[in-house]
Amino acid sequence: MSNLLDSPSMLKTAIWLNYAFLFSMMFVIAGILTAAMVLQYGFGELPCPLCLLQRLAMFGVCFGIIQSFRTGFSYQNAGVSLLFATLLLVIAARQTVLDIYPRPGHEYIGSAVLGIHMPVWSIIIALCILTAYALKLIVLGDSKHLTESKASDLPVIGSIANILGLYVVALCLVNTVSVLLQCGLNECHTFGYQLLQ
Amino acid sequence: MMLAVFVAMSCALVLAYLGQCRLSVVVLLVCFVLAVKLFLWEIYSPEYGFRMPWIQTDLVPEHKHTEDGLV
Repeated sequence: MSNLLDSPSMLKTAIWLNYAFLFSMMFVIAGILTAAMVLQYGFGELPCPLCLLQRLAMFGVCFGIIQSFRTGFSYQNAGVSLLFATLLLVIAARQTVLDIYPRPGHEYIGSAVLGIHMPVWSIIIALCILTAYALKLIVLGDSKHLTESKASDLPVIGSIANILGLYVVALCLVNTVSVLLQCGLNECHTFGYQLLQ
Repeated sequence: MMLAVFVAMSCALVLAYLGQCRLSVVVLLVCFVLAVKLFLWEIYSPEYGFRMPWIQTDLVPEHKHTEDGLV
């Protein structure tokens, strides 16, 4: 596999596949985070503290991808993304178990999408991220020259990814302002925006 | 605390976008530690600790089989 991927013709394909994979993952996560914000601002569904931490974990996954596009691919950046994907899985699993038995003060909040509530979706998302990274490592992880590649070698994907990365940064900044309004410097609640009351 | 976590993540992402690789990773690690601490604080209950007593984990007593059926 190593010799095959390191041949000049296959190396270019491997680099393209690697960055296409990273771009696709950031695109999907950006879509999920955008949907979460539409539900928050459009439908008035305020996120719970664990929901906010799950959003944060998704931003952490994007961090590793943005680093790869800005400074070149490295397995350290992939490690950062995997670390936050694991954090997402742990938080989502705990929240799912926390609310699995409806009782006063504990029930799944927010709308169900396709009959599945948000924390359960987060488990699925985390598992998809981890599985996708595992598959990528199986297919491309053996190439020695992948870490020498730069996103600037692929102008089209690189440019679009930089714009998408900027969008993710903007989403995080909007979320930070939103957290300030919702929680202030206190504990977060889903009753309303503390600073607007 | 939640605000601090999001501010740290925003700083890390902005620094990453500006190409400040090492500094952004340091800020991100601070964010990760804060997030884990906040997560543990959120799920801790003074009454139950980290346990989840609403989940039944005791063994269900086995039904006794008699000639008349289950007891």
